Amino acid sequence: MKKAVYIRFTIILLIVGFMLAVQYNTVQNPETRDTRDVWAIRQELARETELHSELLSEVRMLEQTIGKYENMRNESPEMALNDTVNQLKKDIGLEEFNGPGLLITVEPSLESIAIGQPIEGISPDLLIRLVNEINRFKAKVVDIDGKRIIYSSAIRDVNGKTTVNNFAIRNAPFTIKIGTSSFEDAKKMYNQLEASAIGDDFYIDNLRLEIGDPVDNLTISGYDQSVNNQFLLEIPGGE
Amino acid sequence: MWLPLLGLILGISLGLLTDIQIPDIYESYLSIAVLAALDTLFGGIRAQLQHVYDDKVFVTGFFFNIGLAAALAFLGVHLGVDLYLAAIFAFGVRLFQNIAVIRRILLTKWSERKNA
Repeated sequence: MKKAVYIRFTIILLIVGFMLAVQYNTVQNPETRDTRDVWAIRQELARETELHSELLSEVRMLEQTIGKYENMRNESPEMALNDTVNQLKKDIGLEEFNGPGLLITVEPSLESIAIGQPIEGISPDLLIRLVNEINRFKAKVVDIDGKRIIYSSAIRDVNGKTTVNNFAIRNAPFTIKIGTSSFEDAKKMYNQLEASAIGDDFYIDNLRLEIGDPVDNLTISGYDQSVNNQFLLEIPGGE
Repeated sequence: MWLPLLGLILGISLGLLTDIQIPDIYESYLSIAVLAALDTLFGGIRAQLQHVYDDKVFVTGFFFNIGLAAALAFLGVHLGVDLYLAAIFAFGVRLFQNIAVIRRILLTKWSERKNA
């Protein structure tokens, strides 16, 4: 008799527990509905397609490198390795850049000169915003007042001075050099910068962006300090 | 004694592991069904302690109460009156009463055992 009662209670408690768990599930993570419209999905699709083609071109480049290795394996492996090292150096910005690009000059605004306001340095926030904007338009190389921007470059305030790569930037006027992959890209960059709202942000700080015409041959010096690497170790020669 | 607890744990883990979710509109039905089930459960425990437990009453009460509560909620939705509040109130009050009775019975038993 007693046992039957326990079994009944067990079954009922099993059902109660199940219902409680389902209720808990429902309350804790409500189903999120996809509320994007066709346009938003289309944009997402376009973004993914772009990423896809970028990846494809990267794959093709790596395959070319592999092919080069295959060809040179018998002849001279050192040359292929040197090639790769030079390519990598170029990619991260240790080598000088020669190619199309454009020159931007940051100047004090005409109003501030007319009123006679003291010229203050550019703020790091504004500079970071400009660099982000430039990178958004697919710049290949950026150099601010002679300081080459690489992957680890920091733009920050040190004792009230805005610095890039730990070197202070002059007060306006100074130049920013942008290198691009092709002259077409340089023209596109020029138009995009002209159209973007970044000039207005500079105007608030009494500065003016003078965007120069795209040029065919621009020389940008390489990054001249040592690059810190955390993970790779250099093997001493001869080993 | 441990068998019912095992059932509860088993039920909860089953529900959590299967990760079943119900649509938003049926959420109130489920919550009221849970309340009805808990009410019947504590009613059963009380009856057992008072030695008036009846298998049929317990099992039919369990399913009938859940069904009734859901039906009341359904009717309320279609009439535009929050009838499920009535069910929640009724079950809530009964739940408290049942638990109070269970507490008293257990207290009496405990003090009897202490005096004995």
